[in-house]
Amino acid sequence: MKRSLRRPLLTVLILLFATSTPRAFQDQNSGEESKDIPIDVIGKVQDHNYLNLAGYHLELPRILLVDGEWHFFSSTHAAVESGNFIEKNHTLVPAGGGEITLDLSITSHLMYFWFGIALTLWITIAMARRYRKGVGRETEPKGWFQNLFEITFVFVRDEITKNNIPGDKYEKFVPYIFAVFISIAFMNLFGLLPWGVTATADITVTGVLAAFTFFITQWNGSKDHWEHVFWFPGVPGLMRIILTPIEIIGLFTKPLALAVRLFANMLSGKIMIICILGLIFIFAEFFGSIVGLGASILVVPLTVALYILKAFVGLLQAYIFALLSAVFIGMAAEEHHHEEGVEMHA
Amino acid sequence: MGLLAAGIGAGIAAIGAGVGIGMIGKGAVESIARQPEASGDIRGAMILTAALIEGVALIAAIVCILLVFFA
Repeated sequence: MKRSLRRPLLTVLILLFATSTPRAFQDQNSGEESKDIPIDVIGKVQDHNYLNLAGYHLELPRILLVDGEWHFFSSTHAAVESGNFIEKNHTLVPAGGGEITLDLSITSHLMYFWFGIALTLWITIAMARRYRKGVGRETEPKGWFQNLFEITFVFVRDEITKNNIPGDKYEKFVPYIFAVFISIAFMNLFGLLPWGVTATADITVTGVLAAFTFFITQWNGSKDHWEHVFWFPGVPGLMRIILTPIEIIGLFTKPLALAVRLFANMLSGKIMIICILGLIFIFAEFFGSIVGLGASILVVPLTVALYILKAFVGLLQAYIFALLSAVFIGMAAEEHHHEEGVEMHA
Repeated sequence: MGLLAAGIGAGIAAIGAGVGIGMIGKGAVESIARQPEASGDIRGAMILTAALIEGVALIAAIVCILLVFFA
């Protein structure tokens, strides 16, 4: 098994390096010509309308709504060529003046979001088929992959979901929590690949994920949950005037914090790596190229260490997102409020 | 001024989160030392609480990043 995997992996690695080298040199040359451009930190993290993969440049379609009229183009270039739009500061502007009402273009973050979800679907459906056939139910799980899958699934079911969602209700939420866990883990880890884009370093992606948790939480809220929000039991009447708005705000801050936590963690990891690599160029700029070379000896191993840390943080944040989702759902679905339960305020 | 505010704000947020997570780590290590058989549960609670504090600190950091780029 191991040997059969090694050869395709090696081929892919060689292909990556073979195709990337000319392009890397090209970029360097063009960078030297325009020396006044500073290192663009946010530009590397930002959403783009193209995918870069091993020297290939794939433009993504643009879908734009201008004054109630939909425009579809295969790429940004096609949009400019059609004459309806002009490019200004790397953004599209309608040629006839005015503004774009709604930009539903498919972007690189969205593509990687889909990649993560597609991989999740593929793995779970393939595994479900295997279990339906009886492998793993009647016999032992076969192969390293199914074992790994089962370990992950049992961990999510027992440690994350069962511990936090009370009663026998937890079974209903295992699919959601598991899907969120592994799709976020994939999206985080995709960002570590060469040319990869971290979809979760985008507030809209994490916002959508947190919105799922929000709606599931409210949908499954028990009577006690709503009583606690609008009519807190056991407090004097006047206190409720203060408590009810706070509880209503609390409903929304929990998913908001969930979204911002994941987003900021992924974004900060990317910015940190670019900043630390940028130190080489800063040293080279101020003290000459020899000092820059010396700095790179120190900086490159540090970046490698940071990459390992980022892989760990990516998995940890997926775990935390799933865990907090389970905690929030469990808090809302709880029937009887136990006095010894610790109130969670995120 | 926006840059200065962002720097000071990020620093203060880092101080707060550092103190908070440090106290969680202290509490977790002490309780594991006292009761090693409960280390699994304690670790889970530690990660959960640290994540909650980290969320607040990261919201502050995001505000600072917004100050740098949009103020």
